[in-house]
Amino acid sequence: MTNDELAQLQVFVHDARKPLNRISMQAELVKMALNGDVPADKALLALDKIISSAKDCSAKLTDMTTTMSQHSSASQHDK
Amino acid sequence: MLTILLVDDDTEFTEVACTIIEFLGHEVLTAATLQEARDWLTKETFDHVLLDFMLPDGSGAHLFNEIDALAKQPRVTLITGHPSVKEVIKGLCGPNIDYLVKPIQREEIEAVLSTKSKPKETEDTITKHFDLLIGESPVMKELYKLISRVSKTSANVMLLGESGVGKEVVAAAIHRASESEGPYIATNCGAFSKELIGSELFGHEKGAFTGAVGKKEGVFEQAEGGTLFLDEITEMPIDMQPNLLRVLENKVVIRVGGTKTIPVNCRVVSATNRTMEEIAQSKVLREDIYFRLAVFPITIPTLRERKQDIPLLAKTFIEEFNKDNGSSFKWDDAQLDTLQAYDWPGNVRELRHFVHRAAIMSDPDGSSIELPKTIESPFAQKQSTAPALQAGRTIEDVEKELIYATLEKVNGNKTMAADMLGISTKTLYNRLHAYGDLSKDD
Repeated sequence: MTNDELAQLQVFVHDARKPLNRISMQAELVKMALNGDVPADKALLALDKIISSAKDCSAKLTDMTTTMSQHSSASQHDK
Repeated sequence: MLTILLVDDDTEFTEVACTIIEFLGHEVLTAATLQEARDWLTKETFDHVLLDFMLPDGSGAHLFNEIDALAKQPRVTLITGHPSVKEVIKGLCGPNIDYLVKPIQREEIEAVLSTKSKPKETEDTITKHFDLLIGESPVMKELYKLISRVSKTSANVMLLGESGVGKEVVAAAIHRASESEGPYIATNCGAFSKELIGSELFGHEKGAFTGAVGKKEGVFEQAEGGTLFLDEITEMPIDMQPNLLRVLENKVVIRVGGTKTIPVNCRVVSATNRTMEEIAQSKVLREDIYFRLAVFPITIPTLRERKQDIPLLAKTFIEEFNKDNGSSFKWDDAQLDTLQAYDWPGNVRELRHFVHRAAIMSDPDGSSIELPKTIESPFAQKQSTAPALQAGRTIEDVEKELIYATLEKVNGNKTMAADMLGISTKTLYNRLHAYGDLSKDD
């Protein structure tokens, strides 16, 4: 892997971590709602956001594989 | 309550984080960019800044200088997606900055916001049973079981155990475990003169005796609905004991000089460093009192019966010392082995004082602790060495005793012992063989 590719990979990983962080925080919110610390309807909203963040993360990973495989086939062409 | 500035460009994250932080009882303001953060810092004072490392208009690190220049410097916690960034930042800004690595959990937020800057190095946290007792040995586990059993009842407890085993701590643990509404009151029966103990226990009315200028509640009244701890119960003058018996029997006290009976309702936990046999033989405690107090007797194990707990205790004591003195002492394994090998006749109290003394003697800027070469206390002298030279004993006997006493002094190091005794190591080994203390191949 070249330095460029590594840098690009890191950007992808950073982007993929963002939805993961959202999921983690929303899950904490659901826990609090179950404990009765915040209104229950917040939990439903949070769960929706968790699902959409999971999809978002998955999309980011797909992006990453597509881009990286294009890269590697391009670099093989160069040889 | 803290005022917190949360700087992150992910609005969904900041929204949830705000809900959580507000729930934790703090006030939060948010900024999505460096510029917004700068604006807030000029307008408001903050106790804590949670700062994302990657922001749309630059790195969060740019804020460090501005934060440093503030009159009231907030604590800073960096939020980073990259665990590797951590190391880099640590080099840049020293140890006073915390990190959170995404994805973040609520507990992590709570931990960084808790006001104390905890030393993160304590890898294995030591459990304090009932928030007070330390030890994972089987004998201690048994003790915990007894404590939790008895705490569910209202039975009077008598704690037996050598000096320094922690009788008062166990009493407090029983009080805590019983979740009673009343307070925990401790008093030492050995600390009062015969004349005063009545007033201490039962209180007195104004003018009851010379110097009784006001009325006073006794400890039984003070401990209403809670736990009364009577330490050194066997030191209570025997002619005061019938008065105590009456209180225990009838659950009422009459203040000294008073006439009114006052109902009392508390669990009595008493303690003594004598064994049950000694109590029975020496007649320091009336039998009827004994059975009233020792409805549930608990013998607290000595430290030498639970040597495996010594490292845990030593670590706890050194951590306490570090916290109080801002030092960073650490045990190495060999030192813990040395501590574990000793018998600690003064029990946990002796160990604690020994640890503190060693820490005071050590270089305050370093992290290594200097242990004295031998561990001994003036009370630890074995009785056997005192009457060593009495007519009627054989030379062989005395020689044997001297050899063992010397070995004990040097913690079993045979070369050092032989040196002190002025004999060759070979001779020492021969003697020990003869006593049957060494196997052939030793």
